[in-house]
Amino acid sequence: MSDLHWLTATEAARAIAARKLSPVELMSALLERIGRLDPKLNVFIRLDGEAAMEAAKAAEAEIASGRSRGKLHGVPVGIKDIIDVAGLPTTCHSKILVDNIAAADAVCVSRLRGAGAIVLGKLSTHEFAIGGPSFDLPWPPARNPWNPEHHPGGSSSGSGSGVAAGLFPMALGSDTGGSIRNPASACGIVGLKPTYGLVSRRGVFPLSFTLDHVGPLTRNVTDNALMLDIIAGHDPLDPGSAAAPAGHYASGLERGVRGLRIGFIRHFHETDLVADPEVSAGLENVARTLQAAGAEVRDVRLPILGEFGAVNRVILQSEAWAIHGPWLRERPGDYGKLARRRLLAGAFFSAGDYVQAARRRLEMIAAVEDALREFDVLLCASAMDPPSRIEDAAATERTYPRQARTPFNVTGHPALAMMAGLSRGGLPLSVQFVGRYFAEATLFQVAGEWERAAGIDQKHPPVM
Amino acid sequence: MDKATIDLLARRAGLDKALAEFPDDVAAAAEQASGSVARIKAPTDPRAEPWPPMRAGGGL
Repeated sequence: MSDLHWLTATEAARAIAARKLSPVELMSALLERIGRLDPKLNVFIRLDGEAAMEAAKAAEAEIASGRSRGKLHGVPVGIKDIIDVAGLPTTCHSKILVDNIAAADAVCVSRLRGAGAIVLGKLSTHEFAIGGPSFDLPWPPARNPWNPEHHPGGSSSGSGSGVAAGLFPMALGSDTGGSIRNPASACGIVGLKPTYGLVSRRGVFPLSFTLDHVGPLTRNVTDNALMLDIIAGHDPLDPGSAAAPAGHYASGLERGVRGLRIGFIRHFHETDLVADPEVSAGLENVARTLQAAGAEVRDVRLPILGEFGAVNRVILQSEAWAIHGPWLRERPGDYGKLARRRLLAGAFFSAGDYVQAARRRLEMIAAVEDALREFDVLLCASAMDPPSRIEDAAATERTYPRQARTPFNVTGHPALAMMAGLSRGGLPLSVQFVGRYFAEATLFQVAGEWERAAGIDQKHPPVM
Repeated sequence: MDKATIDLLARRAGLDKALAEFPDDVAAAAEQASGSVARIKAPTDPRAEPWPPMRAGGGL
């Protein structure tokens, strides 16, 4: 078997189960690739290669003796370094937590291990999932495998970069203002922010209690659905966990989009923030393609992006201040500049500001719910620009907020970002699909149609 | 937000150290906060509820 690093999680799991592929062979290939590419990409904060190889050997022995742990037996996974893995550091990419060792696996990690997945290590993030890309932290920022001179998005930056570079087929990320969908967009892979409460947050370092989501990053839609099948489900010890039934997320993947009603939120990228022309053209192409496949595509309006963003910031920074206040008072110099600035903002909101944002949030939820009574899925921009050069701080500061992801952290609806094409400069362009609460299967159905039509899961970074 | 107000709010929040060591960051944070608040259209209906709501009996 050649090019083991481009095997999807589903392909690898099937080959391992059929004893056509050894988990040790797969792990060796990935560790060799990591050794060669990670010095250029900075994906890992902590590679746990020895333990991963031991786990691969154990998986090989178990499979040889006819025992299967589950759907991901022997398949490697990367974990964003705000998510606990027992015995490994959870640093949140920060000096503040540089010596913090996790006592237990987060629930999402435990579920993946229960299905047989092997943890490869802990991945770069923006500091505390908010401050980055930054060069003033204990570890360098991850870079984009499509062009290492450019940023890979964030905050789940190592997750996006590593999946796109073929260092591992799947990763866990978190998303409070777009942090799964941003790296998925910048790195040309598939990133899902599930419905709020669908995936347990227990064991994940919080940024904002009512906006935090945990979700999968993969190279194709099928793997994303598979990963969600495993990590979704009620957790009675997570106060935000939903009791909704979970599973069967791949059930609609082959169904196509004929008869589905798709609402195109054009004003996000046409007037609220005017997108780069290549991004706009990419979105139009996605809409046309889905229409040609039988979907009904019509325009729809939501509140403007600027206000969604403001509500997100007031809630996020207020809740984050409750977490970081003690450290910001005592150790402000142990934060990088970006995280310090963003987290300090929480000190300047009043209780009334927070409650007003929460009241406006309910109106915004109602607006999205209204749209989703008329449409099965919404289509809109994710990023308004291709990823900028990572060392051009001014360009990053200008383009990072030019996005349409925060609305769905505010409302909690599931949202998936994926590649819409490539720019003339060879960098990924992106599209976002948004669904009804707990209707991730419909999102995968639409995303799967676009993936098949455009063949985007076959596009890999050329330099790798 | 003027400098005196920023200093007052920062000190009230216990940020004396940050104010002494990183005054520009404190000022930028205050500006960002006031900018965000200004962009929100507060509901005009006095009965508009916040989200998420209190749900009795839904605790752990």
